Amino acid sequence: MTSVLSPALEMIGISKSFPGVRALEDVSFECRPGEVHAICGENGAGKSTLMKILGGIYRPDGGEIRIKGQPASFAHPVEARRAGIGIIHQELSLLPDRSVAENIVLGAEPTRRGVLDRTAMRAGAREILARLQSSIEVDARAGDLSLAEQQMVEIAKALASKPSILVMDEPTAALDDSEASRLLDLVRRLRRDSVAVVYVSHRMPEIAAISDRVTVLKDGRKVLTDRTEAMPTGRLVRCMVGRDLEEFFPPRGAADGGVLLQVNEGGNATISDINLTVRRGEVVGVAGLEGAGKSALARAIFGDRPFTRGTMQLNGQPFAPRSSRDGIRAGVGFLPDDRKREGLALGQSLRDNAALTLRAFARALALPSAGAMGNLTLDQRLRALDVRAARFDDPIRLLSGGNQQKVIIARWLARDPQLLIFAEPTRGIDVAAKAAIYAIIRDLANRGRGILMISSDLPEVVGVSDRVVVMHEGRIVGECPSGASEEDVMALAVGHGGSVAEPASACGS
Amino acid sequence: MTIALPDTALHRRAGSLTRHINSGVVIFLVLFAAVALKQPSYIEPAGFMNFLRRAAPLGVLAAGQVFVLVSGGFDLSVGSLITLSVLGASMITGGDPSLTGAAIAALYGIGVAVGLINGIAVAFLKVPSIIATLGTLLSVNGVAMMWSGGSPRGYLPDNFRAFGRFVFRDVPLVGQLPLSVIVLAIVAVLAWWGLHGTVFGRRVFAVGDNPRAAELAGIRVDLTRISAFVISALSAVTAGIMLGGFGGVSTDVGQGLELQAIAACVIGGAQLMGGRGSITGVVFGALSLFALFTLLNLLGLPQALRDTAQGLILISAVASGAYRQRTGG
Amino acid sequence: MTLALQPARRRHRAFSVPLLLFIGSAALYLCAALWTQSLNQLSAEGIVGLLQRTVALGTVALGQTLVILCASIDLSVGSMISVGAVLASFIMRGAPAMMVPAVLVVLLVAAGVGAINGLVIAKLKVSPLIATLGSGLILQGVLSSGFNNFAGSVPPAFQAVAYGAIGPLPWSVLGLGLLALGVSWLLRSTRFGAHLYAVGGNAAGARLAGIRTDRVIVQAHTLCSLFAGLTGLYLASRLRSGAPWVGRDGVYDLESIAVVVIGGTMLAGGRGGVWGTIAGVLLFAVIDASFNMLGVPAFPKQVIRGAIVIAAVAVYSLRNKGHVA
Repeated sequence: MTSVLSPALEMIGISKSFPGVRALEDVSFECRPGEVHAICGENGAGKSTLMKILGGIYRPDGGEIRIKGQPASFAHPVEARRAGIGIIHQELSLLPDRSVAENIVLGAEPTRRGVLDRTAMRAGAREILARLQSSIEVDARAGDLSLAEQQMVEIAKALASKPSILVMDEPTAALDDSEASRLLDLVRRLRRDSVAVVYVSHRMPEIAAISDRVTVLKDGRKVLTDRTEAMPTGRLVRCMVGRDLEEFFPPRGAADGGVLLQVNEGGNATISDINLTVRRGEVVGVAGLEGAGKSALARAIFGDRPFTRGTMQLNGQPFAPRSSRDGIRAGVGFLPDDRKREGLALGQSLRDNAALTLRAFARALALPSAGAMGNLTLDQRLRALDVRAARFDDPIRLLSGGNQQKVIIARWLARDPQLLIFAEPTRGIDVAAKAAIYAIIRDLANRGRGILMISSDLPEVVGVSDRVVVMHEGRIVGECPSGASEEDVMALAVGHGGSVAEPASACGS
Repeated sequence: MTIALPDTALHRRAGSLTRHINSGVVIFLVLFAAVALKQPSYIEPAGFMNFLRRAAPLGVLAAGQVFVLVSGGFDLSVGSLITLSVLGASMITGGDPSLTGAAIAALYGIGVAVGLINGIAVAFLKVPSIIATLGTLLSVNGVAMMWSGGSPRGYLPDNFRAFGRFVFRDVPLVGQLPLSVIVLAIVAVLAWWGLHGTVFGRRVFAVGDNPRAAELAGIRVDLTRISAFVISALSAVTAGIMLGGFGGVSTDVGQGLELQAIAACVIGGAQLMGGRGSITGVVFGALSLFALFTLLNLLGLPQALRDTAQGLILISAVASGAYRQRTGG
Repeated sequence: MTLALQPARRRHRAFSVPLLLFIGSAALYLCAALWTQSLNQLSAEGIVGLLQRTVALGTVALGQTLVILCASIDLSVGSMISVGAVLASFIMRGAPAMMVPAVLVVLLVAAGVGAINGLVIAKLKVSPLIATLGSGLILQGVLSSGFNNFAGSVPPAFQAVAYGAIGPLPWSVLGLGLLALGVSWLLRSTRFGAHLYAVGGNAAGARLAGIRTDRVIVQAHTLCSLFAGLTGLYLASRLRSGAPWVGRDGVYDLESIAVVVIGGTMLAGGRGGVWGTIAGVLLFAVIDASFNMLGVPAFPKQVIRGAIVIAAVAVYSLRNKGHVA
């Protein structure tokens, strides 16, 4: 390695806490010009927080950032941008109603004598897109683009300011194989142009293919930094997880219950041709890229955004929920992927959150603490799931993600649904709580409930499920039995392998 | 990774002590002390009861408004509904005491209708409540004017006016007890039961805190919202009946009361945009606001400055709430 | 963030909202005039009269468009209009020499109020509904405690603003046209315009792109209050004096929001424009004129207006799957 070059970027001893969570503790790494430095770790390891600090979105509680050896601190994203840092964020931040060109130059619009220079704007946007070998039309409305195209625009946006340090936060999450490989080509070219690239990902093959060095984060701390050649995938995974995967996931049960849920030719505006069976005692995983329709599938079965075509049977009975309330009444529960926005009443107490569904179906004028909604019963239920909180009448926003998720599980267990749909059950949750949630999921299945688990986390979906159904562009494109490899699932998820016509075509075995 | 910070437990204990003392109560005590310093007759039983009597309609109004606020909305139509109640009562009874019962029944019917319209506009037509209720404010005011021909007409029978002006004499301890104070007490107890003593009340909190989460948990968000608007409208009619007894018939009796009610709720610790509030708080909030008005009067300041005071209260309450949320307190 | 989850290829813009509103308004006006045989309403004079009705609401609504585009709102414009009108006629007291100082003072006060609104919203994170409801109350309180009737008067020279004309075209209508062109240019051809759409469309995204979102909000509110101040000046000229209730009586808060929404600018921000608003204002003027032609009395008119506002907002928000409160 060319260690003579001084680092373009150093982050030294960075710490950051949020109420109830220590997100980062004493994390350091550096990136030299022309180097691709991969940051990897599980969901919730602190990668995104670290990048948000670098981008000026969060301010660190402690530590120092140096750009080309000079200390820097950013109070606003604009300051990070001026320091030469370009960031491709995980969450897309495009303006749906504006053109592609307007989105790309946003915040740095070319002007001539104070007036927007639209010709220059479009020319600039075209040039950047050409460098990306993308054929996206600069006058198209951003909201009309596909998810992958939007991701490209997002990348073009970051390149527009000609950064000397480029941060890519899981840039391939929504891309298929060929798009992802074009992106990797681009990263190689940027490296030749002496751009320092910080590459955040948890896709092992990509990290091996592209990066020079790897820094592994776990639970907000740095595990190690090493040259990529010295980090075979097995070692990398052990560093990230901290133990072997086998002991992390609960042993599977013997699912031989009858059919609980049957979906025939289900479809709506987002998904189509859905055929799916969930048996009692079974954990069915649903995998796929961002935007593949996993979440839409969960919502359609639950009744929140119902199927408009096809039929469903639950327990052999016709099942056609028109609302989440219908779904719940028939015996389905749903843990949404976006806990804060869809799962929790953040200002209300743990008990209130746990009693939400019971109260939705209780008599309106009953005492709020009557019967199963009583504090004692609620507390028992919360303790049974090992919810840790100073007091059960504290507002739930004070809790860590794992404990919040357990409260939502408690909410559903109170209704004892036949089918529980978990969407991204461990997103943003620390490792210990993850294992606990997997154990709860398995325990429910063992007690004869059917589980549908939507997850973007490949090790999780492969490790926990009895079967994995893979989605691509709104359809189920294949199914993998338990014990399938992550590569098998990924191949289906990016649109290779199984054929659309035969959804059940399995991978390999 | 959750690392319990060592001082949290202690911090929480201290927090729980202050949490149970409502801001509305404290503010009321301070303001009322100032009023009493300026005009000592206010702490005599008769003076205090008279103060309560005049503050009672605002208390009733705030106890209804808080349901809408906790559910995450606003009800700006209550002022015009009060005007409609007073004008309507005079049109229906035409001064005939035997029609008082019918008039009151009709007014509550109108109240339910207005509440339903507000609730449906918000819950089903998805019109933001501030705009929807401003719209009904216009319409209800128009109806009131149409009905009465644009000027206050007729007069109210004495048995109708009793709700505002009747006073029980020679009551032990307090000397005299106005009927309107009893009405306020009954309304407060009912509202307390509804918001804090029922499953419905907990649903209102959940809907105001996060309607999407409430919906996914199976709560009928629309019905909960509509009920909150109906409750608010019913409290407005009640306040209207009381105010009819105070000042008689006029076309601007309700004007501005909607914002007074909201300010009272905010003083009492209700959170605009939903999820937090208590009946004890808002009733004391109403008393505080009324004490403030009394104080402004005693200090010889123009009536119009009441508006200014309310505006400052609204902004500073919300700003301090937003600040607390940002700093995670 | 949310948009990315549904890359549905919507093909809208099949019709243009402003154009549809213009055509609809014209048709309604024509029908009302023919139905009631008020053919004089169709003469040049009648139409100029109609256009004159749009000036006050149109001016405030232009400002309201700016704040709604950045996902804010201004409920204090009614009070600001009263302040502008009263201040202008109070300072002028009929003296032509005081015209320029009065106008300057009104515009300065308006800009100050707008800047404070913007700062309270952007820096103190107060919801714009409450911030401007509150500042409206504060203004109204201060104004009403100082004045309780028409205060002062404006000199005849200043009345020309409302009553003067070049040829058949009144100054005021011309002024509104120029203002609309100016705002339209501002939105289309300046960085400020681009950033306004960005802040309204996706505030977090705009911040990430390095836009000072706070500054944009303050600027938009300053402009909005300035336009309300201008409306106050215009009303002082038309009424020959200002009174503390002129803004409230015109229900400018609610109606300016309603016409902006009718014109296709989303309350959530980020989408819309000037010409929709102008078309919405025209529609309101036509409805008003039609009521007059049909002889609908004042109070039922008020009832219907409230219903129209709710219905108009509902038409746009019904598509919205989420919750509103």
